Amino acid sequence: MEHIALATGFLLILIGLYGALTQRDILRMIVAFTIANTGVNLVLVAVGYIRGRSAPIINDNLPAAEATARMIDPLPQALVLTAIVIGVGITALMLAYAYKLYILRGSLDISKIKELKW
Amino acid sequence: MVDALAIIYLTLGTAFLLGLLRDEWRILAYGITLLSLAMVSGIASTWVWHLADNPAESVEIMTAGASPPFAINLRMGLAEAAALMLATLTGLASTIFLKDTLLRLGRRAMAVLLVFIMAICGIILTRDIFNLFVFFELVVIATAGLVLLSHNERSLGAGFKYLMASQVVSILLLVGIIFNYHVSGSLNIDDMAGMSDMLIQTTPLAFFLLFIALIVELKPFPANGWALDIYESAHPAFSAILSAAAGTASLFAVDKVLAIGGDSWLPVATGIGVLSFIGANLFALAQTSDRRLLGYSSVAQIGLILAIIGQRDILGDSYWLIAGGVLLAHAVGKAGLFWLSGLIAERELTAWTALRDRPLLLFAFISFIALLIGLPPFPGFYAKWELIHLLAGADRIALIVLILFGALLETAYLFRWFGLILKHDEVAEKAPCPIQKVVVIYSAVVAAWSLAYLWGELSVFGNLMHAIPLLFALLFLPLEGLPARIKNVLAIGGLVTWFILQYPLYDPLQLIFGAIILPGGALILLASFHNQGRRIGFYPAALWMFAGLSMLIVAEDSFTFFAAWESLTIGSYFLILRGKHSQPHAQSYILFSLGGAFLMLLGFALASAGNPLFPLESLTTVAEDVAPWVFILLALGMMTKTAAIGVHIWLPGAHAEAETDVSPLLSGILLKAGLFGLFILLIYMGRQQLYGIDLTHVLLWVGAISALLGNLMAIYQEDAKRLLAYSSIAQMGYALFGLALMNHLGWLMALMFVVNHYIYKSMLFLSVGGVAKRTGTKEMYRMGGLITLMPLSFIAVLIGIIAVSGVPPLSGFGGRWIFYNAIMSAEYRLPMVIIFLAGPIAFLYLFRLIHTIFLGQLKDEHRKLKEAPFWIILPQMIYVACLMVFALAPGLALRHVDAYIDNFFPRNGLNWEGLTITSTYGYWSPVSIMIVVGVIFATLFAWLVFVNRRAQKVKQFNIVFAAERPYRPETTHFAWNFFAPYRKALGFMTQPLVTRFWATVAESLHTSAELFRRLYTGDGQTYAIQLLGFVVAVYLLSSGVFYGV
Repeated sequence: MEHIALATGFLLILIGLYGALTQRDILRMIVAFTIANTGVNLVLVAVGYIRGRSAPIINDNLPAAEATARMIDPLPQALVLTAIVIGVGITALMLAYAYKLYILRGSLDISKIKELKW
Repeated sequence: MVDALAIIYLTLGTAFLLGLLRDEWRILAYGITLLSLAMVSGIASTWVWHLADNPAESVEIMTAGASPPFAINLRMGLAEAAALMLATLTGLASTIFLKDTLLRLGRRAMAVLLVFIMAICGIILTRDIFNLFVFFELVVIATAGLVLLSHNERSLGAGFKYLMASQVVSILLLVGIIFNYHVSGSLNIDDMAGMSDMLIQTTPLAFFLLFIALIVELKPFPANGWALDIYESAHPAFSAILSAAAGTASLFAVDKVLAIGGDSWLPVATGIGVLSFIGANLFALAQTSDRRLLGYSSVAQIGLILAIIGQRDILGDSYWLIAGGVLLAHAVGKAGLFWLSGLIAERELTAWTALRDRPLLLFAFISFIALLIGLPPFPGFYAKWELIHLLAGADRIALIVLILFGALLETAYLFRWFGLILKHDEVAEKAPCPIQKVVVIYSAVVAAWSLAYLWGELSVFGNLMHAIPLLFALLFLPLEGLPARIKNVLAIGGLVTWFILQYPLYDPLQLIFGAIILPGGALILLASFHNQGRRIGFYPAALWMFAGLSMLIVAEDSFTFFAAWESLTIGSYFLILRGKHSQPHAQSYILFSLGGAFLMLLGFALASAGNPLFPLESLTTVAEDVAPWVFILLALGMMTKTAAIGVHIWLPGAHAEAETDVSPLLSGILLKAGLFGLFILLIYMGRQQLYGIDLTHVLLWVGAISALLGNLMAIYQEDAKRLLAYSSIAQMGYALFGLALMNHLGWLMALMFVVNHYIYKSMLFLSVGGVAKRTGTKEMYRMGGLITLMPLSFIAVLIGIIAVSGVPPLSGFGGRWIFYNAIMSAEYRLPMVIIFLAGPIAFLYLFRLIHTIFLGQLKDEHRKLKEAPFWIILPQMIYVACLMVFALAPGLALRHVDAYIDNFFPRNGLNWEGLTITSTYGYWSPVSIMIVVGVIFATLFAWLVFVNRRAQKVKQFNIVFAAERPYRPETTHFAWNFFAPYRKALGFMTQPLVTRFWATVAESLHTSAELFRRLYTGDGQTYAIQLLGFVVAVYLLSSGVFYGV
């Protein structure tokens, strides 16, 4: 199970990167990066998953005393939450850039933004 | 102590507080922002203070009530505190610089700026790997936000490209983090470092991802197109923070993760660093946009520091001093230049000519580039010295060569830029200079000089800022407002006083050189009284050169020698650059000189086997296998100054285009620095053999060929000062030849040349300079018949050429006489023949000075000329007197030197009894020679007067003129192309082969820079692909490290 998640995660990363590097449209590129980010998050969670254990929520079913033995590693999940928040921030910023670029140039073609070079 | 976390929560808290303010309260918001940045700067500074006194008291800061790995921890040590101080002060300064922009954009921009500074501080402090990621992402977000501060519309595209690259980096980083966590069970860097071996062996790829992601944050060449676009288009105040503070933080991050990777990853870091250093510096050669050039330079400097980090296994205790020195120098210098670019209206390098009339800003510019290049007395100089030595101690010679090559490229474009500012034809319009911006720039200058002082204090070599001669030169900076004449009095007084003070300490060799440099320099400076006005820039430069020279001759260890050498080089560069058309010559001068200095640096490092404190006298005991190489490197370095053939191409232009009183300083005095160095080298190292070849024999050949070709090239010159300059190459060739003879008389002759050349070349340059001042040209065929108008100049030139050519009765003959005695006792025949041949050639050009300038037809436009100015004539007349005295009684100076040389070559000395000087082969009686020549001259003169008593006086126009003035009058002038027949016969020997060679080197560097920088296509996706390609390439190349192959 975790291997499938891991593989899917990496596949999503590759798909995302491929899309980001081949699509000329800025909006499509942003979507591709989001896919790659999702892949990363999936990898993070998959690495933290331990077969046969429960979610890291301490309640009546999982008393604190038994927690270390019965729950999965909570840390990657915390990391994923942070990563998602940051990912949202960056995606929002990229979209803001896309908007301003469109206003300025009337086009969203990344290959036309080349005036800075060499 | 204030809690170090306050730096984080004060900035973050202020950023949130700004969100609560009303948008119209901009001044209040700005005030709060400034206040908070001032407070965190204060906190960081007190930490630096505290930890500098108590380095053991570095603090671990725990958060969330748990210890790592369950919670994030941070560390505040001295290095961290210094980096925080740098980051917060840069932030504060940039905020002040950005006043108008921030007030226009309002509180949101200020909040983003605060978050940016906070994130940089976080990267420096944190010891948690995921926390590191978070702070990096905050830097990305803040960067993308702040790029929009710029007015430049292109910055929008740059920001998007940057975001794309950051996305790729964050993917690498996150995947790397999670797998490292998976294996180690911790996110704490120190925990992971403890498990280094296990981590590297089980999942090398995971560490690689972490490592490479942080490396890419350093914007390494060539995976950095996006970063260059940011540097080029962002607001300069933001670029200053990005380069200085964010660059520092990223380097800290790499330093931290390398603790996890262990020593086996250090070579990878070094490789990437050196590639960046050389590649970016090479590409910078072809840049015409100032901020993009600064971007390339940032990439290069950070690459250099990465390479230093990669060498930390051998740097030991000096690691922080070296890395910190280069890092702080880069940060202050680069931030300063970015801020300075905010005062320049256009983005072309030529637009910086607007600084020309602003001496203070110009001084700031010089300080910043000196800081970047690592010239004395700045921190980079100490760091470079120690780094190269430690590398040499570990036998990493290839790395030294690469680093020095990169440094030379950097020197090339930074000094070319400076030359452009001073000498470009068109002066750009000045942009307004708001007070707050100027204040920021000056505070960077203060920081630069404070760092220079601090590093001097920290170094074990002694503080250059305590060297009295250098301080004396610096004293002239605040005095720049005074009239030149007052400064001239001070300068002459200083030189003479220093000589009187030092006189008792000199040994005879030092005394000869000291006398030429100090009182000799004062004598030449008499001519400077001629200059009116304030003459800004002349005195600090001249005295910096004199300081270097006077420190050079008393240097006892290699560090002082090298520091003095670089100081005199820089001082003289500024002097050379003052000439009207000097820029290209000054440029090639500084490149050859610093290139030579780098060879010397390598030579000293090899000689001392890595010991940075190396007394010069230990050169006698250099290990046998490296000794010949040390000899070659040091000799080459010194011969760049004496302009031996092959590295001579800078000299003619530099000497000829310089100002009237600068040419004699350069020719009469500066050239002697190289000779002094060669003396020291030969005294301590003597004869060295490489593959059975005696290296002094090679020097002999170099000397002989320099003498021959220098003289040959001199005869074809039309420009009188160029003629004298080429003659200097030949004269230095003679001196080198004498030294390389390695016998008593050879050395005596070399010293005789030192004195003689000083006197007659200074005199000739002054008289020709004086004539050129009056006639407005240096080309001899445009002059003529000046003998009656400028009789004193005529006498000086006449005496001068008699002395140079070595005919009786003047001191030049004494030189020749000793010289002929010297070669009688040496066994080398062929170079001897060459040097004999060179002698008569000197007559060919020397007599032209009299014949073309002072005899012949007076030109119409010169009929009302007056004698050269008094202050230019005065030193010449003193020189004439000196020459006469020296001719009659050479023993005054030479017998002491002769006795001194007995220490090295006890045999074959001269006998100085009475007025006659006796050698094994004959005797020389200066007084009788003077009498004999005088009698012959008087007799011939009397006879001439007698036979000509009835001759008819012919007026100038009592001859036939052609009907028309030809289109190019010089082609009909008899003195033009005077030696055309010789050129036909011997021209093949004076083909500018060497010039062509060096031009080709420069050309091919520029062409390759021009060609390969097209790699940066400007397309964001290409950049991202390059980034991934870089990652893959590093992976493949370092796979040996991975699997322990």
